[in-house]
Amino acid sequence: MTSISKPKSYIAEVLAATFLFPVAYLVVLSLATQWIFPHAFPKALTLNRWISLFTSSTDLFSSLMLSLGTALSVATIATLAGFYTSKHLAYHPQRNIWMRLSYFPFVLSPVIYAAVLYYFFIQLGLSGNISGVIIAQLLIAYPYSVILFSGFWSQRIHNIEQLVQTLGGNRWQTYKRVLLPMAQGLLLVCFFQTFLISWFEYGLTTIIGVGQVQTLTLKVFQYINEANFYNAALSSSLLVLPPIILLYFNKKYLFQKRW
Amino acid sequence: MVKPLKAKRISKAFDSEQVLDDLSLELHEHESLSILGRSGCGKTTLLKILAGLESSDQGTLWMGDKNVGSLSSNQRDIVYLYQEALLFPHLNVFENIAFGLRLRRLDEDAVTFRTNKMINQLELNGMQNKMPHQLSGGQQQRVSFGRALITNPKVILLDEPFGSLDADTRSAMQKLFKRVADEINITAIFVTHNVKEAILMGDRIAKLDNGKLTIFDSIEALVKSGESSIHEEINFWRTISDKH
Repeated sequence: MTSISKPKSYIAEVLAATFLFPVAYLVVLSLATQWIFPHAFPKALTLNRWISLFTSSTDLFSSLMLSLGTALSVATIATLAGFYTSKHLAYHPQRNIWMRLSYFPFVLSPVIYAAVLYYFFIQLGLSGNISGVIIAQLLIAYPYSVILFSGFWSQRIHNIEQLVQTLGGNRWQTYKRVLLPMAQGLLLVCFFQTFLISWFEYGLTTIIGVGQVQTLTLKVFQYINEANFYNAALSSSLLVLPPIILLYFNKKYLFQKRW
Repeated sequence: MVKPLKAKRISKAFDSEQVLDDLSLELHEHESLSILGRSGCGKTTLLKILAGLESSDQGTLWMGDKNVGSLSSNQRDIVYLYQEALLFPHLNVFENIAFGLRLRRLDEDAVTFRTNKMINQLELNGMQNKMPHQLSGGQQQRVSFGRALITNPKVILLDEPFGSLDADTRSAMQKLFKRVADEINITAIFVTHNVKEAILMGDRIAKLDNGKLTIFDSIEALVKSGESSIHEEINFWRTISDKH
């Protein structure tokens, strides 16, 4: 048993190192004073870039806050609305048609989807502002959430809902005391996934935001295009940090086996 | 005398199929009415209409002197129990049983006292902290009863509650339910397709067939009615008895 588990553990460690090395290298590069090709590592490191990020008002810090606000809004709205909507779709007589429609946003690429809808965003005054970007991202995150939750609802859950009602529970109590706790694991997975969808979204944000909504992902692309690799490394480090933190704090809910 | 539950001229059709046809029934205080009927004869539909989980096409429903037909299921004080125990998987035995009391926001001392008393009555001592997946089918069904009985509902509707249990557990559960029902004077409708269970559990027996409900005042009346399943049962035991 030990002889089998040791190679497995070794392979896992190698794989983990393979994935973590680029992230660690990004952080090193964000701390570099100067890095010249073909040296593998910078000659000297400094915290100045990180310190100035949090001490003076920089574009990058604004983008970080903007991305956090957008992703948290999208994840919260998509998760709650998706949970509620998926329930009504699951018990709807035309369930199959509605479920097929919820796949529609994924048939087109986000960029084409945004281009198709752009006219309506202009007409509604939603082009080039944060509200428009949140709504645009919800067009992807919300149906994703509906699809994810569609497997939760079943005849058994429907019977449990009815049982709670006959025990005296109103609609709010049914959600609060039974449905939401039962779906807790799935809710966290959905929140995490929709957060990531928003956090790394580029196409929709670029078109609907028309360059005026500079999220962190857009900043990374901007710095790469400018060949400003120190700031590109810094913004990339910021880009990977929140998902890692979120994953770390939710790992027990995301990966543990529940009832 | 005011009846705890009175249904008058209830009818229900699904598309062209008439499931319940001008059906009426009255429950007496603290009695169990067994309703016999084959699968798909409309027993579940009847119980769901009484519980407010399904609407009827016509008819009225009274609890005491109050017309409850327009009340939603959570306002009727009628608990409907499914064949499956349907315990809440995120709550332990204690919290499952205490669920109805928590909904009514009783204080913690009252919840603890009444829940422990129910656990004791249902012979579930020592299982308070167990999760539903750690219980056997019979234990789950007992927790389900406890959860329904603890709030003292005016009427309990049981939809073949022992249908998924093995013969021994089923027999033990029938005795346990009968004892607890007598102890706390519940008023219940017990639906089953098993004639022995209907006789054992009911103070009166009724038969649902072709959307019509016939209520018998005694077992003799049921036997005289020519109900085929009871004659099959009698003939079976006669054959066994003759062989030995």
